[in-house]
Amino acid sequence: MILSPEVLTIFILNLIFALFGTIAFYLSVKIYFGWDLESSSKKQYKLEKQSFLTATIIKYIFAIKVPLFLFFVFTIDKISNVLTGAMCGAGVIDATSYGIYLLILKIINLYLFAYWLVLHSQDMKDEKQRFTKVKFGFFSIIFLLFISELIIESLMFGAIDVDKMVSCCGTIYSATSSSYISTIFQVKSYILLASFYGVFLLMILSYIFKNKYLYAFLNMLFIFSSLVSLIVFFGTYIYELPTHHCPFCLLQKDYYYIGYLLYTTLFLGTFYGLITGFLPSSKTIVKNNFNKSLFFNIVYVVIISLYPIVYFLKNGVWL
Amino acid sequence: MIELKNINKIYEVNEQHRVEALKNIDLTVKQGEVVVLKGASGSGKSTILSLIAGLSKPTSGEVVVDSKKISKLPDNFATIYRRENIGFIFQKYNLIPTLSVSDNILLPLVPLNLDTKELDTKLNSVLEMFNIAHKKDSIVKNLSGGEQQRVAIARANINEPKIIIADEPTANLDKELSLDFIEQVNGLKKSGKTIVIATHDPLFFNLDFVDREIGVDNGEINL
Repeated sequence: MILSPEVLTIFILNLIFALFGTIAFYLSVKIYFGWDLESSSKKQYKLEKQSFLTATIIKYIFAIKVPLFLFFVFTIDKISNVLTGAMCGAGVIDATSYGIYLLILKIINLYLFAYWLVLHSQDMKDEKQRFTKVKFGFFSIIFLLFISELIIESLMFGAIDVDKMVSCCGTIYSATSSSYISTIFQVKSYILLASFYGVFLLMILSYIFKNKYLYAFLNMLFIFSSLVSLIVFFGTYIYELPTHHCPFCLLQKDYYYIGYLLYTTLFLGTFYGLITGFLPSSKTIVKNNFNKSLFFNIVYVVIISLYPIVYFLKNGVWL
Repeated sequence: MIELKNINKIYEVNEQHRVEALKNIDLTVKQGEVVVLKGASGSGKSTILSLIAGLSKPTSGEVVVDSKKISKLPDNFATIYRRENIGFIFQKYNLIPTLSVSDNILLPLVPLNLDTKELDTKLNSVLEMFNIAHKKDSIVKNLSGGEQQRVAIARANINEPKIIIADEPTANLDKELSLDFIEQVNGLKKSGKTIVIATHDPLFFNLDFVDREIGVDNGEINL
């Protein structure tokens, strides 16, 4: 078990989240089953008051959760200094069997919470509060994933053995790795790049033709193609090292923390892209989401594409 | 038209201490009517006003204004409803003492982002209507009670509301100023406003232009 001040902070915040999240969950279930906006009964008025309380709790959890995700990334990066063999957060994630599941769950929960917030904001703009039942029903489901995340996080930090040697990112993210990650290195770079830029071009086309469902679907594909191409191809140009593929090292000072910018634009772009297809809203809101999504996705593609181009212009060769 | 349907309002301080402010209230106020709610302090008059204004929600029952269920509006929509439909006149005027008469009157229009010309037109109109044009640049704290109440009425009318709500409007005024205020209420009635006044000032009783006087006693209506 590792108990650094950062880990303790995460534990304490998780306890607070669990307490308030449970209250919000209890009230959400109550609202979901009892809500009838047409009714003027005592019970309905009470539920209306409780819906504001519940929404406020969830909003605050999310408001803390976003910076906490970045803090988590910072923490695992810092812990890597005390784990023998670890060079960055990748070693910490790989140190226990929970790490990778925790990371995936955290990212999924970030998307789900952001979706809840958008749903809530739509609901607040609607006099008839049409999304109230849906948003609290949705929270009841994501609460289970949220609690799972808190449990897995505690298990992960609890299972880290500081005396045990762990793998460094160079070993984990390589074609010779014993994990499933090695499979992505089997794919040829040009195929990866074709799929990355292909999905991006299709996304622009679906933006031009305003096909929101296709756009949302392409954004889902874009998340995967971006991450895989980042690990296999673009990362090597960020590190200027053909054998280094780690998606965590780019969060470090040595690389000007570029990872934070890349992951944030990727998250925002794909998030707004996904909600164009999954959120029932007015044409103006859909148009706004389309624009925001395309803007962030373009920023991501431009930044990530500049690395190999600049490298080539400087050195006259590709890696 | 304002309708209160089977309204109950309970203030719960804690589990042991709960105050039943209104009990099964049914009340209808027609468009253009002047209604005086009379009763002792704590009888529930102000609670009725706050429900009509969408400032608070009933514990059960419905408040309907012009076919719109006010009591079912979310807070942000209740704010818009108030801004567009309600003019308030308070016992203690509730003016900002360090601002000028004009600034106080224009306050309800701030969220509307109107241009200066339109603001001036509206301001001059109410200043003339309530006879305070000569004081437009005076600081409010330097005015007399009667003048301050005129500023408050002007402020309540600047957004041209359909409904005027007055809570003990003459409690801080002497008899002469109270009669002056009553005269202004009469003027507002002539301009077609629906007016609901909560008061225990006998000067409001048996007035010609008041359509109905409704007694409120211990949270119940005595017609």
